Amino acid sequence: MKLDRRFLLRGTCQGAAAAMALPFLDCFLDTNGQALAATGERVPTRFNTFFYGLGLTKSLWVPKTAGLNYETTIQLKPLEAFKKKMNVFSGSRVMIDDNPNFQHWSGVGASATGISPSKTGLFDSKTIDQTVADVISRGSRFKSIAAACAGDPKQSYSSLGGANNLPAEASPLSLYTRLFGPGFQDPSRGDWKPDPQIMLQQSVLSVVAEDRKRVTQNFGASDKARLDQYFTSVREAEQQMAAELKRPDIEAKVTIPTAPDEMVVNSALPNMRLVLPLMARLGALAMATDQTRVFNLSISEPGSQMFVPGDPLGYHQSTHEEPLDPILAYQPRVARYNVYSMELFAAFLTELDSIPEGDGTLLDHSLVYGFTDVAFAKIHALDGIPVLLAGGASGRMKTGHHIVGDGNPVSRVGLTVQKAMGLSVDSWGGGSMETKSPYTELLA
Amino acid sequence: MHKRVLVAVLTVFVLAGMSQVPASSASGEVVSMRRLTEQEYRNSIADIFGKDIAVQGVFEPGKRIGGLVAASAAILSVTPVGFDSYSKMADSIAVQVTSEKARGRLVSCKPASAAQPDDACSAQVFGHYGLMLFRRPLTGDELQSRVKLAANMTKASGDFYTGLRYGLASLLQSSNFLFRIEVAVPGSGKDYRLDAYSRASRLSYLMWDTTPDAELLKAAQSNELGSPAGLAGQVDRLMASPRLDTGMRAFFSDMLQLDTFDNVSKDALLYPKWSVQLAAAAREETLRTTIDLALHDNGDIRELMTTPKTYINRNLAAIYGVPFNFDEEWVPLDFAPGQGRSGIVTQISMLSMFSHPGRSSPTERGVALMDIFLCEPTPTPPNNVDFSIVNNTDGPLKTVRERLMAHATNAICASCHTHSDPIGLSLEGFDTIGRHRGTENGQAIDVSATIQGKSFVGAQGLGRFLHDNPKYPACVARKLYSYAKGVDSQDVEPKDFKVAYKAFSDSGYRMRSLLKGMAESEDFFHAVPPVAAAKSTKLASQ
Amino acid sequence: MILRKRLLAFSSAMAVMACLPHPAAAAPWVRSFVVGTYEYAFRYGGRAGYSRPGEIEPGSDCIHGSTIHFSNGEQIRRALKFQSWRSPEEIHTVSTLPDLEQAKTPDQARFMIWDRAMSYRGWRHGIETYINPFAAQDPGQPQVVSRIGDGFNLDGKIGVNDFVSPDGEKGVDNALYRAWGCDAPWRGNGNATLDLRSNDKMQEGLYTMVIRISGNQDPMNDKDATLEIGYSPDKIVKDARGQVATDFSYRIVKTAQYTKMKAKVANGVVESEQVAELHAPRIAWFYDHAGDANFHQGKIRLVIDAEGNAKGLIGGYRNWRDIYAQNTFAQDGGQQGVREHEDGVALYYALKRNADGMRDARTGQNMGISTAYRITAASAYVVDAKKPAEITILTLEEKRREAYLRIVANMIKATTTRIVQDVTPGTSEGAYPNMERAIVGMPSADYFLKTLDRPHFDDDVQEAQASK
Repeated sequence: MKLDRRFLLRGTCQGAAAAMALPFLDCFLDTNGQALAATGERVPTRFNTFFYGLGLTKSLWVPKTAGLNYETTIQLKPLEAFKKKMNVFSGSRVMIDDNPNFQHWSGVGASATGISPSKTGLFDSKTIDQTVADVISRGSRFKSIAAACAGDPKQSYSSLGGANNLPAEASPLSLYTRLFGPGFQDPSRGDWKPDPQIMLQQSVLSVVAEDRKRVTQNFGASDKARLDQYFTSVREAEQQMAAELKRPDIEAKVTIPTAPDEMVVNSALPNMRLVLPLMARLGALAMATDQTRVFNLSISEPGSQMFVPGDPLGYHQSTHEEPLDPILAYQPRVARYNVYSMELFAAFLTELDSIPEGDGTLLDHSLVYGFTDVAFAKIHALDGIPVLLAGGASGRMKTGHHIVGDGNPVSRVGLTVQKAMGLSVDSWGGGSMETKSPYTELLA
Repeated sequence: MHKRVLVAVLTVFVLAGMSQVPASSASGEVVSMRRLTEQEYRNSIADIFGKDIAVQGVFEPGKRIGGLVAASAAILSVTPVGFDSYSKMADSIAVQVTSEKARGRLVSCKPASAAQPDDACSAQVFGHYGLMLFRRPLTGDELQSRVKLAANMTKASGDFYTGLRYGLASLLQSSNFLFRIEVAVPGSGKDYRLDAYSRASRLSYLMWDTTPDAELLKAAQSNELGSPAGLAGQVDRLMASPRLDTGMRAFFSDMLQLDTFDNVSKDALLYPKWSVQLAAAAREETLRTTIDLALHDNGDIRELMTTPKTYINRNLAAIYGVPFNFDEEWVPLDFAPGQGRSGIVTQISMLSMFSHPGRSSPTERGVALMDIFLCEPTPTPPNNVDFSIVNNTDGPLKTVRERLMAHATNAICASCHTHSDPIGLSLEGFDTIGRHRGTENGQAIDVSATIQGKSFVGAQGLGRFLHDNPKYPACVARKLYSYAKGVDSQDVEPKDFKVAYKAFSDSGYRMRSLLKGMAESEDFFHAVPPVAAAKSTKLASQ
Repeated sequence: MILRKRLLAFSSAMAVMACLPHPAAAAPWVRSFVVGTYEYAFRYGGRAGYSRPGEIEPGSDCIHGSTIHFSNGEQIRRALKFQSWRSPEEIHTVSTLPDLEQAKTPDQARFMIWDRAMSYRGWRHGIETYINPFAAQDPGQPQVVSRIGDGFNLDGKIGVNDFVSPDGEKGVDNALYRAWGCDAPWRGNGNATLDLRSNDKMQEGLYTMVIRISGNQDPMNDKDATLEIGYSPDKIVKDARGQVATDFSYRIVKTAQYTKMKAKVANGVVESEQVAELHAPRIAWFYDHAGDANFHQGKIRLVIDAEGNAKGLIGGYRNWRDIYAQNTFAQDGGQQGVREHEDGVALYYALKRNADGMRDARTGQNMGISTAYRITAASAYVVDAKKPAEITILTLEEKRREAYLRIVANMIKATTTRIVQDVTPGTSEGAYPNMERAIVGMPSADYFLKTLDRPHFDDDVQEAQASK
């Protein structure tokens, strides 16, 4: 039964008219805080992660001003086109507590789980993309997808915890086959299936809603209005579930390309520059056609092995071997590699932003969580580990900010991300990094 | 099978109806509907299902009214966003309770077949948990609808415990659980009194910040709470328990506005020692010292203003400027005489919560302390105020005091500022994170103050002033009363809590006497029926 | 002057004590500190902001700048030429790595191949070089040529190789500076790589070093003060600006790295007595090589500033083989070499050559070298623990510590007896199995496996750490 939205609004607000002074009456918005699309259906919000090893160079990437309208620094320049759709976080801290600082690993674990890992190479809990996928992936074909531009299926930072990493697709062809090969679900065809869980939950809600009829006591006017509001909320939840039983309104104005050729996929920068846009495009198309709502892209292992052909000293070794230039006070060659990583990130965002969807683009309806393994690779320092976010999470996240961490745990960013994705969480992380405080200034 | 259960439930009803105060009434007046706070929700779930059950979710915030967030529970409802969270939590809790690991402990009966409905068993489970969750027995109808839901879900899934889960979830997201619905019935004469189960709830959430335990529910059912002796017995039992600490922590947390810490931030460049851990420690320090004095030592509440005793952990020691001896995580400390600290108003919490990120604020501190301890809130400033003089640290007026004194010359400003600034000015010997200081911008700080005709110097003078001020204990009593009843403390008349206050002052201002006097007073369960009580204003069906 | 200083100290928020003693009257006093930075007291003589092609910051201390080894194929080739048992083909292949880019991880492959090659430079095949440095030819470590250096006059004499301190004190014994002052990872203008690294790890919680000074007269002038130094089980607290926070409390524990000494304070400068053995924590950047820096004829000097923070020196003679071990086996000698551009063999010979103390009566050799370390410390409260307190043991990391101690023992045995010792299991010394893993995909992998093979040991090498 499709409800007339206008009727509902009228009914609700009149019902609460006696208590207009009450706060939190957000009867004009749906549960995502976003106006419903014209058809009354919702476009799902997607979640992406982007991993790049070896961090950035502090003196070249951290803007001097905090908040909105921060200056574009050299290392953020490749991302300038997306500045208004991004938030950057400097000065975040990783508290390792009684664990060793596992080189190139502690930062990864902390960024992806909010917990300082107790063993190298293992996550101490589910990673953030899985926590989000648990909630948002209901109904999509794949719960999540991971892809590795450097060609190694082990380069996946998507995990159920411990060593249970979900392997990454290691070439554009294998990613294509997975997504658009056999089993591809064309959303415009009739074979979409809703989540059976939803129908069960609907029965629970109708029992709860029926309690209303059983109220026998007398209520005063204001308490009556409050109880009305409670039951209205129950009603809203029922309707939201009804909506979820319908196929999502994804008018994917996209064409699925033909399969890519076999290509060399490795850590050589020229190859990565060809592979990444291809993988990013495939991931974006997959999300546009609801094959998945969670896409994880990585360009390296922690301690990135990226190299420029002809130069035997690759990225990782450069971070350790290259001295700090006495005049510049940073490592120039490492700084160039940092920028290559940011260029690849920009290429990923370009693909997400080039798919129009509803009143914006796929990027506007996504959140991209860009994280790394260290703050200063040369000495494996974690203090100031950068996090870069992109996308507006369908309006739930305010963008354009530079947030200065002041030594706050990096888990605050992950908590903010989960809240923007609509998860019902009050805390995230573990040990000294357990936090209940998101960056509320970013939550719409 | 379920007919027997129905009969049993009805019997309880009939029995209840026979006593002086009905245990729960199908036809009473709802005098108050108080949304569970986050802590009450968590404590209730932990007490009903055990501490192993994880509760993860977002709770809608309350609003401070008359100085207490508890008062807003009686005004706020549940928004769609909030309900979404409750719904998910309800399901999550139900899943855990009926899980293979927990069902042995938490589900009291076994079904005849694990793949078929078993109405007798589910009725037993829902009856048991329904009583505890709704804080009164389920009506026949309420119970039946859950049994039927469980049966249907069992058929759909082929698993009895899955059916149980959905039934339990429907109880957990019901308005009868999420709201403390206080029902009143007419007593002898025309005045209304809370029914027995409502009394049990009110007592339990006040004393222990949680749902009534089995013994209290039994006392409600047998109408023990209707007689003064029975009531006193339960009150004494509740107060003798160490769980009284939990209840009073919740009260003082509210009264002392410690949730302000959720929004406090300090300038990292000027005050790099400030951290989230420090804020949490400061919060705990204040609660510990207050509970220690008020409950464990059964002390005079006025001494909260003058006591040199506090508790510190390693973090706090660094701000107070003292060594920490690591004996325990928390150790007692006597304020060093040289710093001029005195009681709770000079603890880091009070000094830092009501103060700017980069500078101290006598006005904010004054306004807050007047509101918290003397029940005298200050009106907001007029719209056309020019703050530039106060905020100019480079001008000729070097200290905050000097800049604030500019208000004294302007009649419009003076009316409020002379009311509250002096308190804050006497605390200027402490910076915005609560550290002691002797100078500001190179100038010595003057910490003298005059308020309501009385002059004093520094925090110790302020402590003395508040100690001797009769408005302070009166305010404590007023706030406890408002907290217990969920009403705006500004709307309460002194006569409403006269009995309680007398017990308080007669005892030398001991919290236990206040609590007991209040809970056992004639007035405590007295209720004003809602408007148009004579005609029934039943809820319109959907 | 002193009165005003004291007023300032009182009114600043960093007051260490609630009430300070009157200047003239004697009263018990305590000043405590937590160490925030701990480095070799090397003096940087490079020209600020100056660099020459091929030379890192040349200056008055090191004419050709920081020494660089193993940073390119040419330097590798030169090192390999010393081994007469290598074929020209091998030398060429190892130094030029023709098919490197076909490795799955080319960066790692280069690193590990050179690590392996540099770890076997003995006079015959199969001698692990870092455990047996005496068996390889001395490549030569350029030494510090300047005369100015920080430290203490440990032997009371003015020797020809001694330094003059910046304040003009003659006879300063810091032969370690002479020997290692041009070594790349330890040379810098506040940015020496291993200084940055070790301080970062210490501040992150690897270990905590605390100092407590007490007396009965006056904190600025006291002829009879006491100085204690040791580990604390309590982690360093950093503030929101990333500095070590002041006024935090730390317990001091009386482990083997605890020492109590007499000291004199004159105008705020604390000078300890010289003790036969000053046990104190040593610099470390991994759990496994933290431990005791046993300073023979050791001393401490600290200057306390108006805010109650301290800067100073700690020094004495240290067993130079220990110093070599702590630097070389932090991970493995080859990694230190290729990554930090230092040659452990050259550093070994430099230490031996400059050893100037702890004479062994039997052999007539100097077992120790004079050293000085620079520390900065934030004001803190250092307390004795009433309940027994211990440094946290990380069980998994303990295995590595045991492996580290085994390899060090072997190196000491080797260098004292001059009998070749083998690599002990449990570390990555000799780049095993790291090289094997890293060359996967290279057409020349088999060639390296054969040519750069080395003596194996048992399966418990599977526990060996991968490249840190």
